[in-house]
Amino acid sequence: MDPEAARTARESLDLAFHMSNILDTGLDRHTLSVLIALCDLGLNPEALAAVVKELQSEPPPSPPLPTSSSQIP
Amino acid sequence: MEEEDQRKVTDLVVDLVRRLLPQQNPNSPHFSQSLRYALRILSSCLNPSISPDADAIAESIKRRLATLGNSSDALTFADLYTKFASKNGPGSVHNKWAVLYLLKIISEDRKTAKNGMDFSFLLPNLGLNDDEMGNNVRVLNGKDNREKGWKNGVLLVSKDPENLREISFREFGNLVKEENEVTEEVLVRDVLYACQGIDGKYVKFDSNLGGYALLDSVKVPRATRIIVRKLCELGWLFRKVKGYISESMDRFPAEDVGAVGQAFCAALLDELSEYYKLLAVLEAQSMNPIPLVSENASSGNYLSLRRLSVWLAEPMVKMRLMAVLVDKCKVLRGGAMASSIHLHAQHGDPLVHDFMRQLLRRVCSPLFEMVRSWVLEGELEDIFAEFFIVGQPVKAESLWREGYRLHAGMLPSFISQSLAQRILRTGKSINFLRVCCDDRGWAAAATEAAAAAGTTTRRGGLGYGETDALESLVMEAAKRIDKHLLDVIYKRYKFKEHCLAIKRYLLLGQGDFVQYLMDIVGPELSEPANTISSFKLAGLLESAIRSSNAQYDDPDILDRLRVKMMPHGSGDRGWDVFSLEYDARVPLDTVFTESVMMRYLRIFNFLWKLRRVEHALIGAWKTMKPNCITSHAFTKLQRAVKLQLLSTLRRCQVLWDEMNHFVTNLQYYIMFEVLEVSWSNFSNEMEVAKDLDDLLAAHEKYLHSIVEKSLLGERSQTLYKSLFVLFDLILQFRYHADRLYEGIHELQARTVESSLNSRDKKKSRRQEKDKSSEPGSWISEGRKALTQRASEFLQNMGQDLEALATEYLTLYLAYQMVCFLKACLELSS
Repeated sequence: MDPEAARTARESLDLAFHMSNILDTGLDRHTLSVLIALCDLGLNPEALAAVVKELQSEPPPSPPLPTSSSQIP
Repeated sequence: MEEEDQRKVTDLVVDLVRRLLPQQNPNSPHFSQSLRYALRILSSCLNPSISPDADAIAESIKRRLATLGNSSDALTFADLYTKFASKNGPGSVHNKWAVLYLLKIISEDRKTAKNGMDFSFLLPNLGLNDDEMGNNVRVLNGKDNREKGWKNGVLLVSKDPENLREISFREFGNLVKEENEVTEEVLVRDVLYACQGIDGKYVKFDSNLGGYALLDSVKVPRATRIIVRKLCELGWLFRKVKGYISESMDRFPAEDVGAVGQAFCAALLDELSEYYKLLAVLEAQSMNPIPLVSENASSGNYLSLRRLSVWLAEPMVKMRLMAVLVDKCKVLRGGAMASSIHLHAQHGDPLVHDFMRQLLRRVCSPLFEMVRSWVLEGELEDIFAEFFIVGQPVKAESLWREGYRLHAGMLPSFISQSLAQRILRTGKSINFLRVCCDDRGWAAAATEAAAAAGTTTRRGGLGYGETDALESLVMEAAKRIDKHLLDVIYKRYKFKEHCLAIKRYLLLGQGDFVQYLMDIVGPELSEPANTISSFKLAGLLESAIRSSNAQYDDPDILDRLRVKMMPHGSGDRGWDVFSLEYDARVPLDTVFTESVMMRYLRIFNFLWKLRRVEHALIGAWKTMKPNCITSHAFTKLQRAVKLQLLSTLRRCQVLWDEMNHFVTNLQYYIMFEVLEVSWSNFSNEMEVAKDLDDLLAAHEKYLHSIVEKSLLGERSQTLYKSLFVLFDLILQFRYHADRLYEGIHELQARTVESSLNSRDKKKSRRQEKDKSSEPGSWISEGRKALTQRASEFLQNMGQDLEALATEYLTLYLAYQMVCFLKACLELSS
């Protein structure tokens, strides 16, 4: 990439990150860049949002609950 | 190029997933699972739902930020966007709109997630099937926020770090499962079956308890058992009501159950069909599964035992009422049944009141129908003997008095006694008119009455609760029919005229007729009773009528007047068995019944005797008139004899006076004080009589007053007897007086003859021999003997008269005294 393009890309990413912070999306810079790349590739933004939502909300596959009490600090 | 893109996509996705799940080991099965899931989502919706317009999206984001109150944020965002949008050329984002849209959705999701979490956190969905985890992830788990703190977001501290609530709910679920062998849905369905009287799988009819109950073998908590038993009371009540209905319907063909009973069953069946409808709806609802302790589930249509108890509360009240009524009415029928149901309707609760009213309307409709047809047409359509008016087949003359009567047992309690009497009388009048008077005019009166009362003469139109309407109908009908009946009785059958005729003939009001009758019938009646022929007497009656003013009377009336010979013994004279009779035909014989005519007969006898006595005294007077012959003859007698003669005559005269005085007074009293006064009272009452009952009562009063006042009644037995003795004495007197005057005339004749004879003794010695000697004559003995005989005779007569007089006078005085005392008593009482 030429430095111009890189700079543009970087600035775009910055701006997007700013906007995402204002909107309180909870995404960090790297994830956002991946997402932007995926969007650019033509994927449905709704689908991507759904993925983000699902994977963020998914509880980790913990062992049966009663033993989780052992994790209490 | 495509493949490259695809690979890039996959790589990027992998990267994304890794980013999103930072704590995961990329090689864990969970990771690959999540990756697969992500790819699935991505491939499922390929086309966005909005148009790729970045500006519009930016605008909407700005607006949202502004409405949320972050106007500074909104401005910043706007600024950023302008810059972002201006970045074009290589290295910039091509699908800006996609990025914006993405950010928008993600932020919105987060917002809903954050807000949603506050409520759902406390009551996680407790599913009994823990195995299928994947599908139950939809509701958020608050655990997420434990680790994540945001720059601008709110740090949510979880309230339940070790998920105690969830644990306890899950344990509760297990406990419930253990305790209940059967689920609540099955129990609900069984209870619904029990409410229709059908045994369910677990709820059966227990004959020991006498009701539906859960089988003991089924293991359920006590609370459930109790609630099931309470709900099954409805089933027991239903069974009772249904049992009564089917039993009654079995008896229908045997005509054992009356029309009212049938109406009652029909009304109950209608109520039950409403009940079935409700049960059908409930059964449909009971098919839905019961969610346990769920907040999200709407108050949708499921049916638990508690909900069922709410639904069944009202039917329970109604069914209880019906069961009570069924119990009461098992043995009753007709009007009695209506009465007892009416008693139960006196209730304050509007639900009960309305229900009973509906029921009663239907139950009483046959009764009201019967009343209507009775009052307007005189028809008794009572196959099952339920009406409160019973008729019995009697002869035409007793139709009014005995043909119909009230049956108190069948009288419903909402119809008062006076109304019932009116109803009875109205129908009776119609029947009377139809049968006895042969009259058709009452139908017009009936239609008029119905029109006036606002109902029609057809069926229907009257119901329970409209007792006012019924009363007004009955009043109208009664008024008109009574008036019509009285019209008929007075005008067509000339009731008043007949009463007057009876008074004139039977009560000897027609003086000249009676006088003449006595004159010609008198000699006949002195014969023994069995020698008198009634034909002869009838002929004599005819001639009596023709020679008095009675001949100008209505021939119809004269037709009915007859001679009657009463049954007589061997020693009776004609006087004892003679009487007059008046033939009152239908319909007037309702008034002039046998017993009434007997009383008239008794009065007639008394009056006839009185007349006879009067006649006898008048006859005596004829002979007792002083005349020259008698006084002349006595100058020749000896002084002593003369004195004796005079004194006897005087005594006779005095006695006659007394008797005459007595008889005249008595006659006057009877004729004017008793008969005329009673008649005028009766006339007045006849004017104001409103119906036949009134008329009958007035006539009864008239007769009673006559009987009582002429001392023929019960109370005056002794007086009556003494009066007759007096009459006998008077007749004896007449006989004696006759004999006395006969003797005097004889004496006078002999005296004249003897004086003549003594003068012509020389001349007519020869003539003497020609004269046959009369038995017992004193002529041959000469003048002295004559005087002696005369004095003897007179002495005897005098003694007889004396005895008679004393007897008469004492009795008379006693009689007077008693009369006087009686009058005093009556006045004072």
